[in-house]
Amino acid sequence: MSIPCDKCCENLVLFIDNEIDDSATFNEIAFHLQDCQGCRGEMESQRAALNLIQSLLTRSCCESAPSSLQEQIALRLAQLANQEMLTSSQGEIITQYRRTEITIDGQTSIEIETSHEIRRDFPF
Amino acid sequence: MAITLDLMPTEISNQGSRDAGELVRVDREKESVEQRRKRFEADALQYMNQLYSAALRYTKNPADAQDLVQDTYAKAYVSFHQFEPGTNLKAWLYRILTTTFINTYRKDQRRPQLSDQELEDWQIADASSHTSDQGKSAEDVVLENLPDSDIKRALAEIPEEFRIAVYLADVEGFSYKEIAEIVGVPTGTVMSRLHRGRKQLREKLTDYARELGYVKGGKK
Repeated sequence: MSIPCDKCCENLVLFIDNEIDDSATFNEIAFHLQDCQGCRGEMESQRAALNLIQSLLTRSCCESAPSSLQEQIALRLAQLANQEMLTSSQGEIITQYRRTEITIDGQTSIEIETSHEIRRDFPF
Repeated sequence: MAITLDLMPTEISNQGSRDAGELVRVDREKESVEQRRKRFEADALQYMNQLYSAALRYTKNPADAQDLVQDTYAKAYVSFHQFEPGTNLKAWLYRILTTTFINTYRKDQRRPQLSDQELEDWQIADASSHTSDQGKSAEDVVLENLPDSDIKRALAEIPEEFRIAVYLADVEGFSYKEIAEIVGVPTGTVMSRLHRGRKQLREKLTDYARELGYVKGGKK
């Protein structure tokens, strides 16, 4: 038993766009289109109209990115990568201080040593 | 102190991919900055022309379109480690492009947004059984002869939401679901916008053809 024409027409756009996921509905429409010349004609005309619009759009909207844009993007990516490299290669900086206080005969001398150690993630 | 010796590959996936036939195995944890940059350049830069063309439709002027594409690539690069290799990179880039546009470049943000009440009327509009004339009409032939500049003008003149939906579906070939994800609206809204956008576009093109004297009289 075929579905009524209005149910078919309701779904034509989805059918043409290949957006009917439910196979039962898809089959109902496909069968109806086989049997009903009126709906088939409607579907074909809607599909032709859509194909036309799509081909007009595809034909017209195909600008290439200007070379200046390509260069800007390459530059921007290089900058971002450099920043990233800098951050990741710095790793962890460990700073140690050593304070030595020596008092001889009431005279005090203080020595302060500072050392930095860079610990990096492996691999770097 | 993290010495990463993670032996588990972080991503093995080709889910959602339309064109990747093979499994893509990229260990994003172990990848160096330089390796990631190379992978980004190899995979993402090939869409630059397409993104630029889309950006021209979105912004309607070359200067903004260039900025938009540049920002899109910068954002994409910075979050590229979050992108799952093997999934749809083109859709991911379009999503960044579209969200960036909506959030930063849109000039008329105060304008009231289209409501979702528009949802149902697309079905009603064409549900009334078969009425249109069949076969390739004279009008179709005329539209084919319109210059590219008129096609672009017509697209530029339809409302932004419609324009984006039409562009993504009819030029880029994204599915309703993909468009819904790119734009961040429900699929039903995509359907509605797409349907109305196509209709308005067609009407505009017919008007131009009429102005040029290609189409006579008031037929349809």
